[in-house]
Amino acid sequence: MEELKKNIVNKITGHFADAAVKAYDGNRVDFTVKKETIPAILFYLKDEMGYNHLSHISCVDWIEEKEFELIFILWSYTDHIKVFVHTRIDRENPVMDNIDMIWRQANTYEREIKEMYGIHFEGLEAPEEFLLEDWQDMPPMRRDFDTEAYARKTFWDRREARADAQDVRETITKRTGEELPDVAKKYTR
Amino acid sequence: MREKATTLYLGPQHPGITGNMMVRLKVEGDTVVKAVTEVGYLHRAFEKLAEQRNWLQTFTLMCRFCVPEPDPVEESYARAVETLEGREVPERAKYIRVLVLELARLGSYMLWYGGQAGSLGLYTIGQWSVGDRNYILDLFEELTGGRVYHMYIWPGGVRRDLPAGFEEKVLKTMDYMEQRLKDYEDLMFDNAIFRKRTQGVGIIEPEKAIEHGVVGPPLRGCGIKHDVRIDEPYEVYDKLDFEVPTEDGCDIWARANVRRREMHQSIRIIRQVIDQMPKGEFYNKIPNPQKWRLPQGDAYERTEAIRGEVGMYVASDGTEKPRRVHFRGAAYVHAVTLLEHVLVGENIADVSAIMNSLGTCPPEIER
Amino acid sequence: MINDKESQKIVDIIQNFARKHSLWVLAYGTGCGAIEIPPTMTSRYDAERLGVRGAATPRQADVLLITGYLTTKTLKRVIRVYEQMQDPKYVIGFGSCTINGGMYFDSYNTIKALDRYLPVDVYINGCMPRPEAVLKGFAKLQELIQAGKADGSKKYKENLEWYRANQKEVIPVWRMPEFNW
Repeated sequence: MEELKKNIVNKITGHFADAAVKAYDGNRVDFTVKKETIPAILFYLKDEMGYNHLSHISCVDWIEEKEFELIFILWSYTDHIKVFVHTRIDRENPVMDNIDMIWRQANTYEREIKEMYGIHFEGLEAPEEFLLEDWQDMPPMRRDFDTEAYARKTFWDRREARADAQDVRETITKRTGEELPDVAKKYTR
Repeated sequence: MREKATTLYLGPQHPGITGNMMVRLKVEGDTVVKAVTEVGYLHRAFEKLAEQRNWLQTFTLMCRFCVPEPDPVEESYARAVETLEGREVPERAKYIRVLVLELARLGSYMLWYGGQAGSLGLYTIGQWSVGDRNYILDLFEELTGGRVYHMYIWPGGVRRDLPAGFEEKVLKTMDYMEQRLKDYEDLMFDNAIFRKRTQGVGIIEPEKAIEHGVVGPPLRGCGIKHDVRIDEPYEVYDKLDFEVPTEDGCDIWARANVRRREMHQSIRIIRQVIDQMPKGEFYNKIPNPQKWRLPQGDAYERTEAIRGEVGMYVASDGTEKPRRVHFRGAAYVHAVTLLEHVLVGENIADVSAIMNSLGTCPPEIER
Repeated sequence: MINDKESQKIVDIIQNFARKHSLWVLAYGTGCGAIEIPPTMTSRYDAERLGVRGAATPRQADVLLITGYLTTKTLKRVIRVYEQMQDPKYVIGFGSCTINGGMYFDSYNTIKALDRYLPVDVYINGCMPRPEAVLKGFAKLQELIQAGKADGSKKYKENLEWYRANQKEVIPVWRMPEFNW
């Protein structure tokens, strides 16, 4: 396992000058690259190294650093090693290369990331909408989208009715002769 | 004369569709020439909600990701959090987890039997298998308190120990199941209708399978032997003796046979687990969940569900709440790009059977 | 003769008796609650002894079972389906999330209270409700039907503007016929 990991680290760092490596215990190797390198490194990993299973594509919003992080997780059926490829892109102008010609299934992930984070994948051919319908607000998975405020504004909700339980609480206090605990007071409006 | 293509909407309200989703078919005669999957009817924003809750509250959302088989999702989340934190799991908890996962696999295969047979008009099998599934759900109810949502496998171990006499009950149920499986197999696999309607239908070419990211029984139905349980053994699967069946047909028949044989392997695993289960602790206690901070970093853990590989990506920024929880469902890749590819050239009547054989599970796609 | 009040009463009793014993449920699993419907229908719980069975299309169905949370996208389809159903028709809200949003109280994509958008006759609480609870819900609905109190669809017609305004509040782009039953 350690030799396989060393082998892949050597090959990748030899080919891609901008790849920063972090090797973990067990069967995991991480590379951090610039976004321009992504298609090339994925092509290389798939065709030359045998990492032919794209397990996952994920996106994390690092709003404090004004960046989106994209994570591509690959798996080799022969080496049994997980390779994570990280890249960071600008949050203000999120543009990324499309990779669905390497793995067809990447299309689905990209559609979702596009809808949820507003990242534009160049040359992505897919219907505009994926999970949401007629969405008019900002992409909802961004950190600055407040889902609770949106839900309160959009949907009528019944939480005010919690005051109904007031009489039950009063009966209980009367019976036990105790003061209403603070926790209960907090939830009684 | 060439017939004009018609658009046919299969779903969201359609008895043949697997859950609440839609496939828009372009048909000529009764041959599909183009299929477009439309999902999003069940999108309830779990991943956004996970960012609003702390690590333990997030765990209660996990089982709702995939309704027919919630345990692999819990398992993935629990293991991802443990990897991130470096938390050890007691040996007994590992065995209990495998027991729960295999029971869940058996239970959801029973439901699959009903769906696959029902999609071809063989309703008796569904009546039998879904009825018998209740015996497994009874076991779950005794163990976890819930029939469908268990919320049992959590970070650090499992929620409670096995109740007294539980092992015997499991073994008794397994004996019964083994007997019943024969009946289902006679009824389903010796059935001329089932054979005719499934052989050569819904073919996934093995060379396309890897490119499309096919996992689980559909991949093993193409003769490619990959299973997370042997590729990247989690919990105690490396100590157990079981086979991973493969078939070469690449069609619905092959995938059904893989599942049929896997059910027997599940029973075998459950018997071994009961036999080998050590005594001891079942839970490595987590600190106060309100103040439970996980170190910065990320983790991705995979589990083999009946639909294939499911994975959980978690990223932490060092606070009490997850930065990102992202679920990879097997149906996520099967039901969109792969389904659109496989359905072309098939008969309208077979669409539902193909969707069932790929293990389409809309709540998992949409989350 | 039908105009006679007393005879109308008897006709109603017979009609309600017939209706309550053939509740055809529309096979539309709108949420995760749909997973407990197959066990309810199959051998152990066998809902068919109460006259409950599945129907494939809205026009043949009597009961719309909302199995759990509704996203705004599904709500649109459910309204369409409900309006296609023929009278008498009943709605059962299944699961806690139809009552007050349940665990999805802060989700941006699910509605929180079903009875703002559709008239609900019976709620079944729980997440997830057991098949026994589902059967109890159907039994309650039968009771209401026999007593002539399950008049959700009448309420819907009478208060259509109110329901429509609520529906349009959460569905930004309507693109549906205004009234289609």
